[in-house]
Amino acid sequence: MSVESTAAIAAAATPSHAIAGVERVRMPRRVWVGALIVAAYVLVAVFAPLIAPYDPLEQDIVNALASPSWAHWLGTDELGRDVLSRLIFASRVDLLVGFLGAALPAILGTVLGAVAGFRGGWVDGVIMRISDVVQAFPTYILIIALVFVLGPGVTSILVAFTLIAWVAYARLIRTEVLRVRSLDYVAAARASGLRPGRILWRHVFPNSVGQTLVYLPSDIVGATLGLAALSFLGLGIQAPTPEWGAMIAAGQPYIREQWWLSTVPGLVVVGFGLGLSLIGEGIEEWTRK
Amino acid sequence: MNRYLFIAKRLALAIPLLFGIVLLVFLILKVTPGDPARLIVGLRASEAELQLVRDQLGLDDPAIVQYFRYIGDVLTGNLGYSFKSNEAVTSIIAERLPVTIWLLGFGALLSLAISVPLAITSARRPDRAFDHATRGFGLVALAMPSFWVGIILILTIALPTGWFPVGGFGETPTEHLRSIVLPALTLALSIAPLQVRSLRASIIAVLGAEYVTTARSLGVGHGRIMSKFVLRNAAPPTVSILALNIGYLLFGAVVIETTFALPGIGQGIVLAARQRDIPSIQGYTLLFAIVVVLVFLIADIITSIADPRLEVES
Repeated sequence: MSVESTAAIAAAATPSHAIAGVERVRMPRRVWVGALIVAAYVLVAVFAPLIAPYDPLEQDIVNALASPSWAHWLGTDELGRDVLSRLIFASRVDLLVGFLGAALPAILGTVLGAVAGFRGGWVDGVIMRISDVVQAFPTYILIIALVFVLGPGVTSILVAFTLIAWVAYARLIRTEVLRVRSLDYVAAARASGLRPGRILWRHVFPNSVGQTLVYLPSDIVGATLGLAALSFLGLGIQAPTPEWGAMIAAGQPYIREQWWLSTVPGLVVVGFGLGLSLIGEGIEEWTRK
Repeated sequence: MNRYLFIAKRLALAIPLLFGIVLLVFLILKVTPGDPARLIVGLRASEAELQLVRDQLGLDDPAIVQYFRYIGDVLTGNLGYSFKSNEAVTSIIAERLPVTIWLLGFGALLSLAISVPLAITSARRPDRAFDHATRGFGLVALAMPSFWVGIILILTIALPTGWFPVGGFGETPTEHLRSIVLPALTLALSIAPLQVRSLRASIIAVLGAEYVTTARSLGVGHGRIMSKFVLRNAAPPTVSILALNIGYLLFGAVVIETTFALPGIGQGIVLAARQRDIPSIQGYTLLFAIVVVLVFLIADIITSIADPRLEVES
């Protein structure tokens, strides 16, 4: 679904706006600033092998913990690996888990929430009771437990995110579907004999999904920070794969002398998060207008 | 009377939820691949030793039998014994819990000390320079990993001044206090942006309310309006934001305790996961869930008592 249809939904949801006449509300400039930042990160991740000056896994123990120099712009880590190259390659796993870790739960939650809200009855009951139990746990505590059960690695982290973070989306969509379901045009569709599945996907769903899309950017930030935190704790991405949170953890023992080892990866995380937050805040403001 | 009915209903709803929580926690043991007995006795143990452990823990019983036995154990306050130290999980938790309570309590207070003045100043002149600066900073702060903020505080405060330790909890109460300052500040900084946002919005809403205009037209001073009307009405949403974010706060405690090597339950669950100590993980997970359920329950009850409007509506 494109961003424009979100606007259409938002416009349709605010009747006063429709009465005042359709006036194109311009996207706030910070959305574009944020998009540029995020695009830069995506490009770095995609072209990592071309951009990185060194192999991120290549060790050079003799040259360990070197200060920044022309040869190694951000110095080397405790095993003599080039920090800049590791940061560049780390963007691959961090961005992948960030985007998929937000998108997969959103998809699962949206489907389950839409079905629960539309079907009602025992289907609704079962889905909502499961979501009650999942929601009783702090999200990331349950993710720690689930990653423990599934074993470390990108796949199990994504499975854990999906199985746990769908709940918030399901509740959001269910509420929206319940609202839209009672509107006149759905009753009209039903009266004209459309099958429930078709009504749900063609009529109810497109009009309920806008809110979800508004939350997506901040959830990508959440998933990225979540992965960084898991790896910082030693429970996420395992060595030697470069990952931002794990790099911050690896640099902490050397904070007195090589302070940049921990601080620079953190700045990289903040930059990515800030780009997405600018997009999210901007879109939120835009849909409110 | 209505209120008691509401509380009773709320309590009744929590009971099936607790059974669901216990089921999920029980499944951690059942679903984790590998032989739990092997984790206890080690790789070199003989088959006879393994069987002994399996018999002791009843690992060969049908899953349903084990589930009901687990419920019984939980209800009688037995959370099993650590695979690593063989200590009772309840006593491990009891030892670690105070540290986390200190961190959360101190962190929550600090976060209010940061967010209330910022929100008031922002809300007095919305969309002016100070408001924009606060919101911009909040956006950046929300993107900062808390463990990184902790490391920055160690780098910029603990190391140059020497006032606070870089990690650990110390032995004496004074050392405890010094050890908790930076972790609490880290926690406060991670939750403050959310609080500023909600508090600012509620203050602006209350400032626009008719009774505030009336009070102002009667000549009530600004400070008095703030303390008497605005903060009193804007506080409940802020408290409920804190309650709603209890899960966020608890995970914050996990990460921050690990950053500062504080021996609380947050560091406990991380160590347990690294050491594949299943009963401890189960114990901590259960504890975290119970805390969340209790906090939501208490928040709901307090809101129903503090806000009589809810009763009118029901």
